[in-house]
Amino acid sequence: MPLMKIFLVEDDELYAQATKHHLSLNPDNQVEHFVSGKSCIEKLYLQPDCILLDYSLPDLSGIEVLKKVKSSQPELPVVIVSGQEDVATAIDLLKEGAYDYIVKDENSKERIWKTINNLRENAKLRNELDRLREEVNSKYDYSSIKGSSVAIKKVFRLIEKAIRTNITVSISGETGTGKELVAKAIHYNSKNRKSPLVTVNIAAIPNELLESELFGFERGAFTGATSKRIGKFEEANGGTLFLDEIGEMNLNLQAKLLRILQERVVTRIGSNKEIKVETRIIVATHKNLQEEVAKGNFREDLYYRLLGLPVELPPLRKRESDIILLAKHFLKSFVEENEIEELRISDAAQMKLRIYRWPGNVRELKAVIELAAVLAEDGIIDEKDLNFNSVGDELDNLVSAGLTMKDYNQKLINYYLKNNNNNVVEVAKLLDIGKSTLYRMLKNKELTVN
Amino acid sequence: MADKVYDLVQLEELSGGDQDFINMMVDTFLEHTPGQLEELLKAQATNDMVTFGAISHKIKPNVDMFGIKTIIQDVRDLEQLGKAGQNNEELKTKLAKVEAELTIAFEQLRQR
Repeated sequence: MPLMKIFLVEDDELYAQATKHHLSLNPDNQVEHFVSGKSCIEKLYLQPDCILLDYSLPDLSGIEVLKKVKSSQPELPVVIVSGQEDVATAIDLLKEGAYDYIVKDENSKERIWKTINNLRENAKLRNELDRLREEVNSKYDYSSIKGSSVAIKKVFRLIEKAIRTNITVSISGETGTGKELVAKAIHYNSKNRKSPLVTVNIAAIPNELLESELFGFERGAFTGATSKRIGKFEEANGGTLFLDEIGEMNLNLQAKLLRILQERVVTRIGSNKEIKVETRIIVATHKNLQEEVAKGNFREDLYYRLLGLPVELPPLRKRESDIILLAKHFLKSFVEENEIEELRISDAAQMKLRIYRWPGNVRELKAVIELAAVLAEDGIIDEKDLNFNSVGDELDNLVSAGLTMKDYNQKLINYYLKNNNNNVVEVAKLLDIGKSTLYRMLKNKELTVN
Repeated sequence: MADKVYDLVQLEELSGGDQDFINMMVDTFLEHTPGQLEELLKAQATNDMVTFGAISHKIKPNVDMFGIKTIIQDVRDLEQLGKAGQNNEELKTKLAKVEAELTIAFEQLRQR
């Protein structure tokens, strides 16, 4: 059980002694006694976990002390202990943020005991929540996005700019480039990180349900609306709403979204009441929204409203220097998660990874590496363990940045050898090169013959 | 000795068998409450009913804690009368009763 630091503000020495003694029966309670409101306020920097506050103090009234405490530490629970059963006063104090109102009578010590125990439980849950939040934050800090290429460093710089403000962010990039990861990195490193990040995949929700999903509805708003429900905008209030695949939103809903972005209010379906929302918006799409605007599929005014800070994620083929780094990272994670023997990626396999075009981007690389880790033998991932799922143009895969002419030659000859049963004579004829050249390359292990 | 006007059951229960705690509480009661009673009498005499109500309010839980049952309700009535500013005969009668019972309680507690 965590230690509870309790400030007891009570000018009645006798009652204070009795309360202190009773609370001290639990060694996890650490009680500090103050005889006036001012002396308590002066010591708030000691960070108590709760305050037991007598309503009638010689210097300040309970409500004055409560207001001062709440103005400096709004989260600090204040329990009012009063000799009078005055419902109106109790309501006023609770409205001002008092945690509880306890009347001094024969049952008060039990009520105080229970209230302190409840607060202890709450503190425990809050600590657990903070720990989990920290865990999530660390999961989505910058280190979760791997890479040292020029292209990804440019993305890092944009993320840093997005974190410092509340600007709308539009993330674009091919499928599998990590758009959601970037949205999470922005949210969990921003000043709103303690508020929720709510993700809505527009493409995954049927259009007829999307409106109620985003804006919520009142009971009876439509058939089946048996109880009211808040929408994703309200859910994300104070935090971030991540609208993935925004390019899939229909024009009717786009108009409604535009109004919310302009006025910062939502209206639940079936209600006229406007609800203020302070939510950062991050949108993502794999489509070229400018083209969609030109085609009439996306509103131009909404496009400019959403553009905010554009973050374009490079495809993996344009981050060639990151491929091996990412592959090793995914391999290490997979090995650790599955508690299997350590694996390394052979030079030939690394070459194969580097020259592939990765149409499925980082997501595909992760899948390929995980499968290779399962197939690998003798602690080495070799070429044969790498199975590319996407059906691409082999020539596309061959033409990749960062290869030398020698690499291309090797790749081309290997391709012909593989398709001609390693028949050197046949391949020399097909490629119109000397047999001796091929034999020399084989001798120097520049070619792969199975 | 006359029958005890106080009852330490509540205090004993609170102490969990800690006699030192009970002694300390009795000492604190004898140190503070006679002064509070004097202030209460002075407030009535000077018709300072705001102070009268406030002191009655402070004495109330201590009278409860020391189980001085004969005046538990009277102290509550004094608080209400004081807050209502009614320095009348009813208040004076009840105050005299509270003073008498508390004086006995002080004496009995000193000799316990």
